[in-house]
Amino acid sequence: MLRARVSRRNFLTTAGAVVAVGAMPALGRAQAKEVKLGYILPVTGPLAFEAQLALNGLQLAVDEVNAAGGIKSLGGAKLVLLPGDTQQKVELGNSEAARLMDQGVSALIGPFSSLVAYSVRQLTEKNKTPFLLLAAVADNLTEGGLRYVFRVQPNGKAMATLTMNNMFEMAKAANVAIKRVAMMHEDGNFGTTMGNHVEAFGGKLGYALVQRVPYSLKSPDFTAELSKVKASRPDLLVISGYYGDSKIIAETAAKLRIGVHALVGLANAAYSNPKFIADNRELTDQLFDGNYWHNPKSERARAVFAAYQKRFNATLTSHGVQAYAVIGVLRDALERAGSADRDKLRDALAKTNLADHILPQDAIKFDDTGENVNATPALLQVQGGKPVVVGPARFAEAKPVFPVPKWRG
Amino acid sequence: MTADLLLQAAVSGVLLGGVYGLVASGLSLIFGVLRIINFAHGAVMMLAMYATYWLFTLGAVDPYLSILLTGPLFLVLGIVIERVVIEPNRFAAEHNQLLLTLGLALFLENLALVLWQGDYRTVRPAYANASFVIGEALVEVPRLIACGGAVIMALGLYALLRTTDVGKAIRALAEEPEGAMLMGIDVGRIRAIAFGIGCASVAIAGALVTPFFYVAPDVGEAFNIMAFVVVVLGGMGNFVGALLGGFIVGLAESLGATLLPGSLKLLVVFAIFVLVLLFRPAGLFGGGRGR
Repeated sequence: MLRARVSRRNFLTTAGAVVAVGAMPALGRAQAKEVKLGYILPVTGPLAFEAQLALNGLQLAVDEVNAAGGIKSLGGAKLVLLPGDTQQKVELGNSEAARLMDQGVSALIGPFSSLVAYSVRQLTEKNKTPFLLLAAVADNLTEGGLRYVFRVQPNGKAMATLTMNNMFEMAKAANVAIKRVAMMHEDGNFGTTMGNHVEAFGGKLGYALVQRVPYSLKSPDFTAELSKVKASRPDLLVISGYYGDSKIIAETAAKLRIGVHALVGLANAAYSNPKFIADNRELTDQLFDGNYWHNPKSERARAVFAAYQKRFNATLTSHGVQAYAVIGVLRDALERAGSADRDKLRDALAKTNLADHILPQDAIKFDDTGENVNATPALLQVQGGKPVVVGPARFAEAKPVFPVPKWRG
Repeated sequence: MTADLLLQAAVSGVLLGGVYGLVASGLSLIFGVLRIINFAHGAVMMLAMYATYWLFTLGAVDPYLSILLTGPLFLVLGIVIERVVIEPNRFAAEHNQLLLTLGLALFLENLALVLWQGDYRTVRPAYANASFVIGEALVEVPRLIACGGAVIMALGLYALLRTTDVGKAIRALAEEPEGAMLMGIDVGRIRAIAFGIGCASVAIAGALVTPFFYVAPDVGEAFNIMAFVVVVLGGMGNFVGALLGGFIVGLAESLGATLLPGSLKLLVVFAIFVLVLLFRPAGLFGGGRGR
């Protein structure tokens, strides 16, 4: 296939350049050590665009660490990224992970797909290699008593429940009661997981899930589904989906005058996406989305945001933030371990207590399963043509508009 | 309240069904004449949607007006594809031809990925949000235009097949290939033209849906699968059947969404598909023969 060949070639060129750039300073100072970090990402294939965003975040962070003198406890050792391409396939994920571990990486980062991650984590466990999950949200990835898996970002459960929590805190502040919630989600693993958590969490926050509509991603029309949602008179409509479907749902909801306090995306691929917002300013204004984001109150995060914009001429969004944060965690652990040894790095990772990061959360700490105990999504709202953080309150950069008058219909 | 929901479902279903019908008409025509199942049909639709997008973005050409350009363009493209890719394999085994169009679909989708990346693109003409209400049912103007345009195109296609010499030759070829050859019909040429017309109809369908849809390399799949169901429902090679089948599938989908929980709506569509295959394998409206 043409696609695979051409883009793999591009990918190899880029990857080669990355390795070369990373290696060059090391050549200059012959004695300086280096620490190899491997990534497995779907760099070619249908998720190539998203993977590139994560790769940008990794590169930016690694270059920053190296420019600041590398890992000091290792005599200024430079970080080097070694590339692996999964194409979103389990067997490639396994073989690329195995290859990178053979090449002596100190840790693996990746791989987007929860399915790929589920398989690779067995290999990293066997080879005693720290595996830092990136964009893989399935709750069960850290289950099973594994010692080498770590996840900085919130998992599916944290994403769903904390987003609902954020919405409810905001509603309480606005003196608005939310009793009835409707949810539309794509019927794959991601959407269904989100739907299950939103449904289960209703008891805790005191809302009823009055309508739950799983839908097929490829469906060209959601008018019938949304009419049903409208008839159930919900206070909130929560949507977990990918780009195209979420776009059509928001458009149709607006035309149907859906009559809710707000439309809320949950890890939604469109509602805080700068491209979606630029394409339709009127529709997207005041959409909510619970998603990964940086902490706008942190000076460091703002600097990273600006550096990313300057270098890649693009907005730093969820995948880039998470990738950047993962390198920060690794750097901190390497400094404390004073060694590139995988086992020592693993033990240092387990003892992580990192306050200097760009995420909207307290210090990064891992529990026994490797989940970041303080991980939290940000609650975003589109205001003035860009997504801004409106919750949790202590990280908010703007006041939320809630209820949203135009969705009240 | 339920009556309102059913009315809404009926309206949405009919509007969507017209588009399914036009996509399926092209597929049905190609099957009727060339006797191949064209898996690349959705990919051709995707290419046409990109053409519409670029004409709109770079040349500010209205999506509907762009049909005047994309229609003939895809007619020619279809003829070229038939001549270059399909004709050399005309006498190959049926499963080889099937794999050939599948390969073509993969090639076109990946070509689009290379050329335009995976990101979603939107065409938003000024009337994109126009809508009105009948009773309690919402009617979106772009969807109405798409349905109306699809029906007009399908009827035009039907008239072309009934009245013109080329149309008669196409029907003759669909009905009795050897007899048509003996009567002096240039079979190779007619096959190419039929494929071209099939591509042009799906290209027009693509242009018609672009204002309320999005454009991405895999966008054709959504319509492709439904088109297969419609073609089987209406009878392989039966154009009027394809149009009627489109409405049936569209209605089944949206009534299914209203009456059944969750994502069961596709179950209704595919249940109809299997039932028709079991009990009316020639389709609800009789099979083939270029009717």
